Amino acid sequence: MVWVRIGWCLHPSRRSCRSRRLRTVGPPGSSRPPTWSPGILPVELILARTPQRAIGLTGIRAYPTGFGCTLHLRLREVIPGEQSNFGAFNMFGDGVDPAGEFADYYLRFGVGFADGRKATNLNQRWDFDESPAPDPPTLRLVRWEGYDLLAWEVDVWVWGLPPPGPLVFACEWPARGISETRVEIDAGPVLEAAGRAVPIWPDQTPP
Amino acid sequence: MVPGVVPVALLVARTDTHAVLVDNLLAYPTGFDFDLAVRRHPRQPRQHHGRAHLWGDELRLEVRFADGRSADNDPRSWPRPAGDQPPDPPVLYQSTSGPDGGHVWLWGLPPPGPLFFTCQWPAQQIPPWEAVLDAGLVLAAARRAQTLWPKETSA
Repeated sequence: MVWVRIGWCLHPSRRSCRSRRLRTVGPPGSSRPPTWSPGILPVELILARTPQRAIGLTGIRAYPTGFGCTLHLRLREVIPGEQSNFGAFNMFGDGVDPAGEFADYYLRFGVGFADGRKATNLNQRWDFDESPAPDPPTLRLVRWEGYDLLAWEVDVWVWGLPPPGPLVFACEWPARGISETRVEIDAGPVLEAAGRAVPIWPDQTPP
Repeated sequence: MVPGVVPVALLVARTDTHAVLVDNLLAYPTGFDFDLAVRRHPRQPRQHHGRAHLWGDELRLEVRFADGRSADNDPRSWPRPAGDQPPDPPVLYQSTSGPDGGHVWLWGLPPPGPLFFTCQWPAQQIPPWEAVLDAGLVLAAARRAQTLWPKETSA
């Protein structure tokens, strides 16, 4: 364990802390309802793991309009020559080559519903203008907190609640040696958690 | 390490205009972290603050254990490094801050019993408020944290 003197993070996975929260302005429903307190379903998954790289997922913070979770990206050590950019947001075209193909270092993450609908971070919307609400489900990465090159946390917002049945989390990270991996949970408890979400102020309108 | 999830979102303070939540609580064998989330009532306009503002204008947070030990987000109270020796827990570090709150890491797990979160924000007319969480939920979540690689040290 290395004790970091800058800020005294003292966290088992942290060296230095950098954080960025993306603007979540957009059409209603495309981000978590800001004046609601979520229902929590404790989910702790290891989506993928190699001897050197791993992706975990924790959550789930559920609301009447969708749910959030957190991806935990872990590198056991820095591999010389390996692309350091985590690449997951594609806000400015990073991670996409001129042919429109996503680079191998670009983290792919998505969810799949029992009715066949799915959403991934490969077609996130970044238009900050007012526009019609997207058809659910949609997926957006809304915050990352990076701890130098070895550990990052990324918050995910999925708009649209799943129907009952299997809820699939899928990820792929070619440059890190993680092929497409799927983990399935039961959507029922997610829906129950959404039912436990409460408005912060009793007089506010529903989301 | 993948943390354990504390299955609670805690409303720490609420006025007619603002609310403060402790959300996304995740626990590790050495401590826990969470979002200190500020929410504005839908009728409350967003206020823009200049980059240079005094500590007195910030949202203040204190976390207190059942045995009386406490830590707060005043950077003036952070312990000075003493070689490689870690400080005595608890130590609270807020890595980000702003009008929407920030992210907090608390070093040191609480003992069983009540875990107190106290906040106040004079600049937003939020007087001191306190909320209590059963520390057992944090301890249970910390036990569920998963080591990713068997030889990885947990603390």
